[in-house]
Amino acid sequence: MRYTAIAFASALALGVPAAVEAQSRYVHANNSAYDTLDPHTVFDVARVATRLNFYDGLYRWVDNPPELIPWLATEHTVSEDGLTWTFTLRDDVAFHDGTMMTAEDVVYSMERMLALASGAGALFQPMLEPGATQAVDEHTVSFTLKEPSAIFASLVPDILVVNSALLKENEVDDDWGQAYLTDNVAGSGSYILQRYDPAIGFIGERNADHFAGWGERYYDEIEFRTVLETNTRIQGLMRGDYQGLDGYLAPDQVKRLRSDEDVQILEEESMRVYHIAMHNGRPPLDDLNFRMAMNHAFDYEGYINAIMQGTVVRNPTIVPGNLWGVPDVAGYEFDLEKAQEYLDAYKAEHGDDIRTLNIGTLAGFAETEQAAALMQNGLAQLGIDVEIASAPWPVISSNMRNPETMPDMVPYWKSTYYADPNNWIGEQYGSRYAPTRNVSDYHNAEVDKRLEEALLTTDQEERDRLYKEAGQIVYDDAAGIWIYNTKWYGPYADSVEGIRFSPVGNGQDMRWAYPAEE
Amino acid sequence: MSLFGRLMRDRAAAIGTLIIGVLVLVAIFAPWLAPYPEDVAAFHLTDRLQPPSAEHWFGTDRMGSDVFSRILFGARITITIAVIAVGVSVAIGVPIGLVAGYYGRFTGGVLMRTSDVFLAVPQIVLAIAIAQTLGPSVENVILALSLTYWPFWARLVYAETRALKGQTFVEAAQALGASDLRVMVLHILPNTLSAIIVRTSIGMGATILTAAALGFLGLGAPPPAPEWGRTISEAREFLPEAWWYAAAPGLAIFLVVMGFNLLGDGLRDVLDPKLRKGR
Repeated sequence: MRYTAIAFASALALGVPAAVEAQSRYVHANNSAYDTLDPHTVFDVARVATRLNFYDGLYRWVDNPPELIPWLATEHTVSEDGLTWTFTLRDDVAFHDGTMMTAEDVVYSMERMLALASGAGALFQPMLEPGATQAVDEHTVSFTLKEPSAIFASLVPDILVVNSALLKENEVDDDWGQAYLTDNVAGSGSYILQRYDPAIGFIGERNADHFAGWGERYYDEIEFRTVLETNTRIQGLMRGDYQGLDGYLAPDQVKRLRSDEDVQILEEESMRVYHIAMHNGRPPLDDLNFRMAMNHAFDYEGYINAIMQGTVVRNPTIVPGNLWGVPDVAGYEFDLEKAQEYLDAYKAEHGDDIRTLNIGTLAGFAETEQAAALMQNGLAQLGIDVEIASAPWPVISSNMRNPETMPDMVPYWKSTYYADPNNWIGEQYGSRYAPTRNVSDYHNAEVDKRLEEALLTTDQEERDRLYKEAGQIVYDDAAGIWIYNTKWYGPYADSVEGIRFSPVGNGQDMRWAYPAEE
Repeated sequence: MSLFGRLMRDRAAAIGTLIIGVLVLVAIFAPWLAPYPEDVAAFHLTDRLQPPSAEHWFGTDRMGSDVFSRILFGARITITIAVIAVGVSVAIGVPIGLVAGYYGRFTGGVLMRTSDVFLAVPQIVLAIAIAQTLGPSVENVILALSLTYWPFWARLVYAETRALKGQTFVEAAQALGASDLRVMVLHILPNTLSAIIVRTSIGMGATILTAAALGFLGLGAPPPAPEWGRTISEAREFLPEAWWYAAAPGLAIFLVVMGFNLLGDGLRDVLDPKLRKGR
């Protein structure tokens, strides 16, 4: 109600005649909080909507399987040695305050990401030195990599460009405008920030002058609201308070939504691997026998067939089975006798005393609680005590990035940020991504060697082989507990059309969607 | 007529006593009364979210465990928390009230202002803060409740002590040379007992409610303990389809809290003629 009033007031202020058509509005209920709007400090699916709708990258991911389309940049060339990537930028891109975007803004954005080193910056850090991004001319920018990279191209969409002039004005103690960007937007994206409250969410108004233009129909206003309670989200969608929800609801919820005639469920193949990350660096989980026991103590079949009601498929490694570079392994099975054998082997070496393990779960994500309960149950039968503690995602994700505070186990999803095995096995188990993405504290020189090689070569067959080998070693090391790969079940109001799903971003790029004609 | 006999003549108090009696029996004999005692920890994933039936009186939960059995075992946690937390609160609050009321002036002022500070913050908020800081466990819930609940007894005993202090029998004891401690414990305390007992009975209900709220917020006994508050929290997601999942623990909390309140009212009528309701 309040927001309608605001929209109305702003329409009046702009001198729009009162007789204009009703503004179309899309409200999305999100299952975790938008604690910051900064596009460079977070890099997760839960907060992807701010990045997609307020900011633009050099390229953009669309559709499924994900495909790159030119965006702020129109094209690029790569030098023969594979090190220098030169992008031609559009000359008609305006930031929300009217400033035109230039190559300097791209340079500032990349330097900012490298300096902050959280979010996507952690991915660029190993390949780019500060100062290696150059403005060749006003609309040409070049990146000189430390070494050739097979995945740089797939990361280009994550170079989200910020308005450097605006940020420099708002820098406090050389903080790269971090304080400012927490609750302000300095982008050129499809929507302009109207209102933001970390406790509530954000509202964006359509950027009519966006360089990419607009289709015939669109949403004038989008709101992403934080609604932690699953039931409130579901009922809100059924009542018409919300037009869309996160697309990875538990099957119990999807079933409920399907029975409502005002709700549609869009289905897409996706790549989102559910696994239990284990702290490989902390006893007793630093022992292979112990980790093997863990891997045999989880009831995969019960979880997939009963709790997920068969809506997902078993994925025996960290890399989604529908991608390439996946080793041919059967997957560990729930077998407590085998688990006991491994545990006995562990005890023979380290003694009978096993401390209580702790599992961190994500508040508001019942699937993580149920997986933790199942794990606890399996381990109880082996005589191992487990404590389960729940915390909101922003809290647990920051705990995970520090080996000191990372719980022994955390069930969660590894989603698609770019469609390359490095997104999964590289980031989860490669030393170069520890501890920001490799939260397991897993370090294996043999794995690292292959992952590094795969990043350098562009020979697809060779990369496939390297990832398969690395995957096999990680599997044999039982470095994590890998459970399933999911489908996306996007719940939307019947009135929503044009949702353009991509496993990267999960359909939250709202510029493509529009309300159905009455 | 005996106290118990008088209590039983009051219909409300009789019902309250009956409920509390059943609760205590259930808590003690849960392993024998529960149809599936192993379901406190065991899962049967193929039987998830079954509606109430002859086999599962209150249906099954999201892990396929028998809700009825878990509720019975949950009574143990509830009773433990309520008895210990209220016991500790009484143990802290009563002496403080007694000393503050007896000595008055400076000592009394300091003690009572301290209790005012605790009372100024809503109990549930303070309990959440304490339990959150210490981490989720039954012990911490008990600690949080005890630390936030004692001022109620302190104030009560303080007021009673102030009133009794000027009475002739106290002055007589003092004139006979009785020590302060003797006067407080043997002469004043017994006269405040009925008020304490009434307050304690009603306090049990309030404590159970707060403990359930803490459990609901994930601060109570960690899983798999069949804590009532947390069961309701888990069940939210399956409402309204799996209504039994939330309704069963909700009903249990409702009955127990009502039981203690009815008993408290009844006790007040019996023990404290001054406050007896008119009829």
